[in-house]
Amino acid sequence: MRSSTGGGGPAQLADVLERVLDKGIVIAGDIQVNLLDIELLTIRLRLLIASADKAREMGIDWWEGDPFLGRGQKNGELEDRLKRLERAAGID
Amino acid sequence: MASSRTGSSVWSVPPASTDAWYVYGVVPKGTSPDVFANAGAEIELVETGELTAVASRVPLEEYGAEALEANVKHPEWLEEKVNAHNAVLAAGVGVTTVLPFRFGAIYRDEEQVRGMLTKRPELRDALARLDGAVELGVKALLDPEVLRARLAHDRGLDAEVGSGRAYMLWKQLERELDEEVRSFAGSCADESHERLAAAADDARVNPAQHPSVAGGEMLLNGAYLVRSDRDAAFRDVLRELQARYGDDGVTYELTGPWPPYNFVGDEEQA
Repeated sequence: MRSSTGGGGPAQLADVLERVLDKGIVIAGDIQVNLLDIELLTIRLRLLIASADKAREMGIDWWEGDPFLGRGQKNGELEDRLKRLERAAGID
Repeated sequence: MASSRTGSSVWSVPPASTDAWYVYGVVPKGTSPDVFANAGAEIELVETGELTAVASRVPLEEYGAEALEANVKHPEWLEEKVNAHNAVLAAGVGVTTVLPFRFGAIYRDEEQVRGMLTKRPELRDALARLDGAVELGVKALLDPEVLRARLAHDRGLDAEVGSGRAYMLWKQLERELDEEVRSFAGSCADESHERLAAAADDARVNPAQHPSVAGGEMLLNGAYLVRSDRDAAFRDVLRELQARYGDDGVTYELTGPWPPYNFVGDEEQA
């Protein structure tokens, strides 16, 4: 059994991201984060975390080699791609 | 904040107010500022009634609506802020009860933070419900090769491929082993979660993380709400699972204690 309480590494980062961006109490403050953007990142995270196997079965592996995905892509292109992937992977 | 390109005055906030208030979460009233002394950020505690907001002043040039919209698109920026968010809340874990907010609760000033606290009496109930509890993460990772070697060995089939007939047999064995590995993965995940959930006060299963992130094939990505008086028993269950499934190639990883991120959703949502 391993224990980790902090300090770097992709697994630790994924643990933190999935909690802070996707869990916790949602409260709308005065300054609204564009939820689309946050959701986009959360979806990116989810794709990375959850649906990689499904996506790979479909021959989609564009995130491979770049754990933070599509950095150089145009935004609309990325969103379109995400939409297609979400539908295919059954993420709501 | 940049001035208007057209030259007309578009300040939507008083010029003196160059800060916003970023709220990480809520703790009970009377919580000492010392709790957050080493949290890695300058913390302001805003107390109203039974509740204390844990906040920081943040520059509008970074957290104003436009800037924020641009900033959250940068993974490096977001990573840093998300890590900082968690570090602040983690400082309170085990010391007091922490209600973690999701990233991005930002207010114009202290009064607005107070207003939020007074408008949300349900936060009090959540504090009471989560009193003395922390979240523990348990990930079960499988090394399929270890399991396959063991399954093959159990059948007395360590032999190398030789003749064509041996090759055909080997291919068939491979398929059978694939099936057995899948079946094992499902039952091991189910049993692990059931036993851990029984030792916890509440439990959630989250999607498995990608192997390149997780460092193996993740069978289980669980979150467990554990009160301090059950902590030792929970860890015992985890040790038992490790003892039982370790030889099959399963490694359990315990993370946390975390603020109870996975146990404040739903009923408290806006």
